[in-house]
Amino acid sequence: MTPAISAAGLERRYRDHRALTDVAFEVDTPCITGLLGRNGAGKSTLLRILAGQEFATAGHVRVFGAEPLEDDTVLRRMILVREDQTYPDLRVRHAVAAAALLYPNWDADLAGTLLDAYDLPPARPVKKLSRGMRTALGLTIGLAARAELTLFDEPCAGLDGVARALFYDQLLADYAAHPRCIVLSTHLIDEAAELLDRVLVLDRGRLILDAPADDLRGTMTSVTGPADSVERLIAGRTTLDRRTMGTRTTAVMVGRLDDRDRELADHLRLRLERVTLQQLAGYAAEQHDRTGLTAARTP
Amino acid sequence: MRPTPVVTVVRYLLLDRVTYLVLPWVWAAFGFVLDVVVLQLIPAGHGDGRWVGGLVAVPLVMLVVGAQSVARALPFALALGVSRRTYFLAATALALGLSMGFGLVVAIGRIVERTTGGWGIGMAYFRVPRLLDGPWYLSWLTATTVLVLMFVYGMWYGLVYRRAGLPGTTAFAAAQLGVLALAALATTWAHGWTGVGHYLGTLTATGLTGALAAVVAVLLTGGFATIRRVTI
Repeated sequence: MTPAISAAGLERRYRDHRALTDVAFEVDTPCITGLLGRNGAGKSTLLRILAGQEFATAGHVRVFGAEPLEDDTVLRRMILVREDQTYPDLRVRHAVAAAALLYPNWDADLAGTLLDAYDLPPARPVKKLSRGMRTALGLTIGLAARAELTLFDEPCAGLDGVARALFYDQLLADYAAHPRCIVLSTHLIDEAAELLDRVLVLDRGRLILDAPADDLRGTMTSVTGPADSVERLIAGRTTLDRRTMGTRTTAVMVGRLDDRDRELADHLRLRLERVTLQQLAGYAAEQHDRTGLTAARTP
Repeated sequence: MRPTPVVTVVRYLLLDRVTYLVLPWVWAAFGFVLDVVVLQLIPAGHGDGRWVGGLVAVPLVMLVVGAQSVARALPFALALGVSRRTYFLAATALALGLSMGFGLVVAIGRIVERTTGGWGIGMAYFRVPRLLDGPWYLSWLTATTVLVLMFVYGMWYGLVYRRAGLPGTTAFAAAQLGVLALAALATTWAHGWTGVGHYLGTLTATGLTGALAAVVAVLLTGGFATIRRVTI
């Protein structure tokens, strides 16, 4: 089956800066993929290249098997919702009408529901909206468009907690009813972690991690307790971080724990905590040689 | 899936009714009223029509509207899966449609102006000497060509600004002035100003419309080449 997205040897240079270096991956559909990384990691550049808004310096991307750049038949099947979207001098209802014109699977009922849920006044000019309301408008359009490939670039920027929770709920509900390929670029990783099927982590333009989200859960554990007990549990394992405060030590170790490990930890009175996806992405960026995690996806 | 039809993108652009459908008419009406007021204040001359130039506001507004069409509407269209090529074709089609509408108003306005003796005050608002002269259909064609030219010129400026920012736009304008200066120098060295004057003196409205149409073709080519490499 043709992947929804494939990239190979993708590179984007700006004079003295490399925004992307040799990025290669594939994403199948249906799937919710998290594109994670710190600010300036290259997430937005990658999404813009996928949406045909930016040009690659080298390499290629394919969306539904075709080069998206200037190909209307491919572009029409995708939408890119950006945090910094520029809107024409339109009212909210006109911006929604614009998307309705261009997307064959547009769901007007969903759009109306979301406008109500986010308290977006249809008659208000877009330029008069607050930052959070503009973000909410983008989310409304992105979800109601039901594009086969939906790209969200920092979709929750400027949104309050309630609105973010609403978005995640709506996204999941709509995805369950209409499975498609959704890519979420975010640095609010833990909030979105439960939604993700796949995780791509970019660091300084390089793809350093590409794995199914389920494979990542439990691959690192934080161990806290008396220093000698912690040392006993983590002996022979790769540790990424170690902090000692008084007699207590916290270490982050790589590798899954089995029942014997848990029994031993219980016996040694150690506290075990799962390393969150946010922390995991951070370790992958800082110490990807030691994490055992790789950008090469296991088939 | 079929590609996005150009007409759909035209409809998308026309969602901004104020910019495309209201603004040029408001300025045209404002220019008309201003001309009437000015002519009431100054003594009548001996000519057959007093041209004040209020109609110039319309092509200037088209220039601004053309620039506006790529400043804000283009990024949103690209986000909604429209290709640069389709967008350019749609914006050009819109420019042509709007210009034909305005051109028709100008042509009809000329007829009304002539039959009413210049709106009763000898005003030549729609008649522009040498440019909007001749039969109504020629005035329509000429006005349409001028307005398309201004829209497309504004659009090209907007595209250059989006692609190269203020320094690039300044260089773009400077390059055009440079070309004009070089042409003037070359004409001077070749002692060709008499010939140029003679050519302009004999140029008819039809010939001028043809020359303007050629300029439109050049502007469209330049604009299309620019939009092909625009990033958002």
